[in-house]
Amino acid sequence: MFDTALSAADLVFLAKGAGMTILVTAISVAIGTLLGILFGVIRVQLGATLSLPLTFFLDIFRSVPLLIQLVLANAFMGMVLRLQISGFTVACGVLSLYTAAYCAEIVRGGIDAVPATTRRAARSLGMSWMQDMRYIVAPLATRIALPSWIGLALGVMKDSALVYVVQVTELLKSTQILITRLQEPLFLLLICGAFYFLISFPLARFGGYLEKRWSHD
Amino acid sequence: MKKLTLTTALLAATGLAGMAQADKLDDIIASGTLRCAVVLDFPPMGMRDANNAPEGFDVDYCNDLAKALGVTAEIVETPFPERIPALMSGRVDVGVASTSDTLERAKTVGFSIPYFAFEMAVTANDATGIKSYDDMKGHTVGAVAGTYEAIALEQQVTAWGEGEFRPYQTQADVFLALSQGQLDATVSTSTVAMANVKTGNFAGISVVGKAPFDTDYVALFTNRDEYGLINYLNLFVNQQIRTGRYAELYEKWVGGELPALTVPNAYR
Repeated sequence: MFDTALSAADLVFLAKGAGMTILVTAISVAIGTLLGILFGVIRVQLGATLSLPLTFFLDIFRSVPLLIQLVLANAFMGMVLRLQISGFTVACGVLSLYTAAYCAEIVRGGIDAVPATTRRAARSLGMSWMQDMRYIVAPLATRIALPSWIGLALGVMKDSALVYVVQVTELLKSTQILITRLQEPLFLLLICGAFYFLISFPLARFGGYLEKRWSHD
Repeated sequence: MKKLTLTTALLAATGLAGMAQADKLDDIIASGTLRCAVVLDFPPMGMRDANNAPEGFDVDYCNDLAKALGVTAEIVETPFPERIPALMSGRVDVGVASTSDTLERAKTVGFSIPYFAFEMAVTANDATGIKSYDDMKGHTVGAVAGTYEAIALEQQVTAWGEGEFRPYQTQADVFLALSQGQLDATVSTSTVAMANVKTGNFAGISVVGKAPFDTDYVALFTNRDEYGLINYLNLFVNQQIRTGRYAELYEKWVGGELPALTVPNAYR
């Protein structure tokens, strides 16, 4: 039907790039979510005024384009601190904070959505703050926050395409390398898109499954 | 107490400064790895083979340098605009990236002596009988619009007062037109000319000689204050030429007449 110079070895090369995308995303989403929960809880506990410095810090990561964050962080590590840090570490660090900044907002929204009356009732029953958080707030807030969190995870997975600027050969960079060599941009981008779809579809479906299951009890 | 803190801070600062000033040549040998910035979408200087591994003149040159230093080479792919930033941010040790040694760039990085030169070559359709640059007089010639060689060639045609100049969009278009006889001859970089002739996609054309346009000399580069390393690079380039390795690599990747790396009537 059509001719292509794409070989099996090239598909393996693309799959390796996809593996790198998954690895960077998994690390960043894991660290970012943990940090995001921490920051989100802190923001709710401290109130708007006291947590202003934290809010400001997180807003930097939300408002500066990721590409610029990556370039600046990489230059800062190399030129100012003179540290020999791999591009992979810089990529994971920046993406983690980027995820944490968004996740903190999701967590804060989730906690705020738990009715104050419910929480007061829990405390009136003699529950400690920890017990209230663990048994009352966490289950309710998670349900509210899950769809946004899935959206965030998928977003970070696609944003991870930008880490090529710090010499990490992920899926899109692998595709660009093949495009340079084979000169078949549309066909290769189609395959690249298919890879991204294969990665994100199961995650999206898993989120949908959880939502459905949790809404039936 | 305050004095003590200050002294400690000063000592720490001196220690840090001392570490930062370690000679880069020693650092490379100690680390066992030479990280070269190479442009990999610039055949035949840098490209990728069928297994997507880096190859090309610059890649071989970096491997030779690493071998001379007794370390392993690491090719760091850097697009053209990223070459100098990659060095400044400490991601690479040396640039082996077909970088023209301009005075403007020399304000930022330190250049070695030239290790390669891009000369302008005349490629002609065999049927026209053109054998040199001057033979093009009166013929239909063309080049990629807007490039240095196109501007120079068009001026030359005007100066000759006969013949015709035709601009084209891409290099492939030029060679196709040449092969089909719409053009009699063209001027392009020697590496591009040889690479296109070698592909076999364009029948009946060959590289016939040099064009007397400015030669684009390219050099290795590293941090401008690393005199020890720059000295080493200079000697390395000299040794490559002396041992015939430069000619060997030129034949392997480009082919044809070896460009001279010295400028007549100049010390360096």
